[in-house]
Amino acid sequence: MRIVVGMKWVPGTTSVRIDPKTGTLIREGVPSIVNPHDMPAVELALQLKDTYGGEVIALTMSPPPAIRGLEYLIGMGVDRAILVSDRVYAGADTLATSYVLAKAIEKIDKEIGKVDLAIFGQETIDSSTAHIGAQTASWLDWPYIYYAHSVKLIDNNKVLVERVLENAIEDWEVELPAIISTHMKALKPRPVRLINKIRYKVEKPLITWTNNDMKLDPRCTGLKGSPTIVAKTVDVPEVPRKKVVYKPKDGEDAAKWLIKTLMEDEKASKALIKALKEGGAK
Amino acid sequence: MSSAQNVEKKEEKPMKLEDILQSDIWNVDEDPHIIVDYNKCKNCPNKPCVYLCPAGCYVLSDNGIVFSYEGCVECGTCRVICPMEAITWNYPKSGKGIFYRFT
Amino acid sequence: MNNLPDLPTKFDVIVIGAGPSGSAAAYLLAKKGFKVLLIERGRGLGDKNLYGGRVYAPPIREVWPELDKEAPIQRWVTKERISMVQGEKVITFEYKAEKKISFVSYLTQLSQWMSKKAEDAGALFVTEVTIDEIVMKDGKAVGVRSGPDFIEADVVIDAEGVNRLLLERLGIVERLKPDNIALGVKEVLKTGASNIESSFNVGPNEGVAWVIMGDVTKGIPGGGFIYTNKDSISMGLVLHLKHSMNFIENGKFDEHVSKLVEEFRFHPYFRPYWKDAIISEYGAHLTIEGATHFMPSKFAYPGLLIVGDAAGLLLSTGYTFRGVDYAVYSGKLAAEAVEYARNNGGFTYENLETYDKNIRRSFMYNELFKHRGAELLMNNPVMMAKYPSILMRVMEKMFEGEYTQETIYNALMQALKEEKVGPFDLISQAFGMVKSL
Ligand SMILES: Cc1cc2nc3c(=O)[nH]c(=O)nc-3n(C[C@H](O)[C@H](O)[C@H](O)COP(=O)(O)OP(=O)(O)OC[C@H]3O[C@@H](n4cnc5c(N)ncnc54)[C@H](O)[C@@H]3O)c2cc1C
Ligand SMILES: Cc1cc2nc3c(=O)[nH]c(=O)nc-3n(C[C@H](O)[C@H](O)[C@H](O)COP(=O)(O)OP(=O)(O)OC[C@H]3O[C@@H](n4cnc5c(N)ncnc54)[C@H](O)[C@@H]3O)c2cc1C
Ligand code: SF4
Ligand code: SF4
Repeated sequence: MRIVVGMKWVPGTTSVRIDPKTGTLIREGVPSIVNPHDMPAVELALQLKDTYGGEVIALTMSPPPAIRGLEYLIGMGVDRAILVSDRVYAGADTLATSYVLAKAIEKIDKEIGKVDLAIFGQETIDSSTAHIGAQTASWLDWPYIYYAHSVKLIDNNKVLVERVLENAIEDWEVELPAIISTHMKALKPRPVRLINKIRYKVEKPLITWTNNDMKLDPRCTGLKGSPTIVAKTVDVPEVPRKKVVYKPKDGEDAAKWLIKTLMEDEKASKALIKALKEGGAK
Repeated sequence: MSSAQNVEKKEEKPMKLEDILQSDIWNVDEDPHIIVDYNKCKNCPNKPCVYLCPAGCYVLSDNGIVFSYEGCVECGTCRVICPMEAITWNYPKSGKGIFYRFT
Repeated sequence: MNNLPDLPTKFDVIVIGAGPSGSAAAYLLAKKGFKVLLIERGRGLGDKNLYGGRVYAPPIREVWPELDKEAPIQRWVTKERISMVQGEKVITFEYKAEKKISFVSYLTQLSQWMSKKAEDAGALFVTEVTIDEIVMKDGKAVGVRSGPDFIEADVVIDAEGVNRLLLERLGIVERLKPDNIALGVKEVLKTGASNIESSFNVGPNEGVAWVIMGDVTKGIPGGGFIYTNKDSISMGLVLHLKHSMNFIENGKFDEHVSKLVEEFRFHPYFRPYWKDAIISEYGAHLTIEGATHFMPSKFAYPGLLIVGDAAGLLLSTGYTFRGVDYAVYSGKLAAEAVEYARNNGGFTYENLETYDKNIRRSFMYNELFKHRGAELLMNNPVMMAKYPSILMRVMEKMFEGEYTQETIYNALMQALKEEKVGPFDLISQAFGMVKSL
């Protein structure tokens, strides 16, 4: 199987800090990381390779610093990586991003070898639209499954995908090639390995494609290809939290304590009772 | 993401440690790199980890010590001071954990 | 693809840890044509490294003559300050230095610069990998293991720093004990370059190294430090761990350690220096107190050389910290020993042992023994408390008489009486202390 896995290089912090003097975001020294929700996708791809053989190719559209993230994935065991990077891709919204990614997958399919599966993360921690998988599938006209937990090959060009929803587990048979987005809790990623890191340094299994290689119409990429308009942003007010630590003896004790504590709080108990009345039947 | 909560804290008023720690950056590992044997804590008279872990990872609750590895700055203090040898201590793997920038 | 036959699994030298010591060794060896693997558990950006703030340049210039021009230097130290604190009372000495021999820097940036040097010189620099074990065979180090991967080498250089888990696991050193360890807790306060230059009265590239003794640690042996970066101030406390534990046991230390740092930050004498600052980072690291007790019994073992903090090579005199330059210098001596071995018939223990000999002959070893008295002082909370308070009483009597003031002599004698110290004790102890400091 040849599997392409999507990676986004995102600022590595969930708490964006604001300078009290200027009111602007503090970006100084904030390191980027591989979008954490991409990790289950990478792990799934690597497990499929472990089981069925083939190769895993990591793909990102990003400025060059994302190479560090690709190195991390190669450290986990990804075979090679492709960085799609060009000035004309800057400022892309999800439509323009997915367009470039879809074209890159087509290019891999043509030049490197047939792509069976592309796997994306559930969403990113810096934009969390969860659009990319679906949109890329639309551009390619491939079937798409979201919230995947596991994938099994059932015959040469069909997979069985299990997706886990809040109140149901579904199994889908999907014809290849297909696109899958993993659930953010689906799989625990494997650690980086010394030998893979040495391989990265020695072999540099990394390809960069600029728009000279991709040959896309710049009107469809970057800011120009992005119809999204941010109309307004709002600050969400702080919710005061009590920050209580309780060390339960066991699960039952934890549940009892939690319910007792919630019931003692006037607001919380009202909300809890309402929720139980409305949704308890489910 | 609420901005009020994350506004930079000035040094003027006393701050909670958790607010000071907001200035730090971690890439938290999926697995804990430190494991505490709470059974041994029961017989530990002074519980120095509560005072000396600079990141406040050891908290004394009604039922004894609670340890959380997520905010650990990997200094090694708890391993050195624990009189009961209750701590199995390691560095995080895969480059995870604290990410210092200006230290 | 993990077992590609053409992947190198054997190196001449493996260096564990890309702090100052490891990067210096890797750099010099790579430059001499050795096949070097430098392994760092962090992301290779100095992201695991934390120290006080000031580095002595001369030993480092021996490895990197381009240091002054290229390294990420925040400010050159042109003013040395020492303060003694008791409550709100403070005595400060200031010394305006003429030569620029030390500079303030972020260790994160400096380590990154050094490891980049090693990589540019040809060392294979692998990051985000934690080594689990130094592998021994027939009493000789033959390589390292991380998870399932074993990589072989003729020589392993251990540059893992103060926690030295790997050496412990090998049984070469004892389990780390609080007796010779101190905890440093640090805050970086961003205040802006112009604030620093006006409040410390220094020029654009000039800075201050400031040591604080006395009450800031609540009587726990240790001290405070302040260093000026370009647009921020590094400040914090170093606390001897064994004494911290004793203080906790005796109920004299009953708040969280970060509160001590905060009280230092709020101290009315120091506070104006970081007025309106924001905390841009908070962190902590262990350091060595009493290097001569911390050293392994040998610096060289078959196939294994120990450098930097892991080797106990850190000078802490009570008024200066020299760890980074010692680390770099020990890395240099290790690299020279490996080269010597190659040129003299191979990596035998006899050849590698020249490292052990050269460490013991070096200025560092000499200095560490010369300053052993500082350990005594650091280890003695009574002494630590007494001298500042005698001095404080003297000053108080000299300057704070509302109508009358004491002569220095009378002030001193009265102060000694109040502190229950005989004048001869003072002279003999002070003499002993000064000799060792
Ligand atoms: C309301 C809103 C408005 C925005 N407006 C703008 C705008 O005007 N201009 C602008 O430039 N940006 C804008 N963005 C950001 C931009 O849309 C996204 O950063 C980008 O298109 C990717 O979408 P995402 O991060 O939400 O990915 P998601 O769809 O959440 O990501 C799902 C998965 O897709 C994969 N993936 C995502 N991005 C990449 C990538 N670059 N390469 C490879 N794989 C990837 C990952 O596997 C990821 O887990 C906006 C975002 C939001 C939420
Ligand atoms: C509070 C404090 C203040 C100080 N102030 C000063 C000062 O002002 N001036 C001064 O010169 N010195 C000072 N020092 C001392 C100085 O920081 C050290 O002496 C110096 O950093 C030692 O360098 P090193 O290379 O031996 O170890 P380190 O700098 O500790 O580097 C060790 C490296 O090895 C890596 N590593 C560890 N274990 C593994 C593993 N198993 N696998 C892979 N990688 C690993 C670590 O991530 C780290 O990068 C201070 C120290 C402290 C704690
Ligand atoms: S010092 Fe050790 S034994 Fe004591 S409470 Fe802390 S972790 Fe437990
Ligand atoms: S290593 Fe340091 S920061 Fe981490 S838990 Fe132990 S004492 Fe706390």
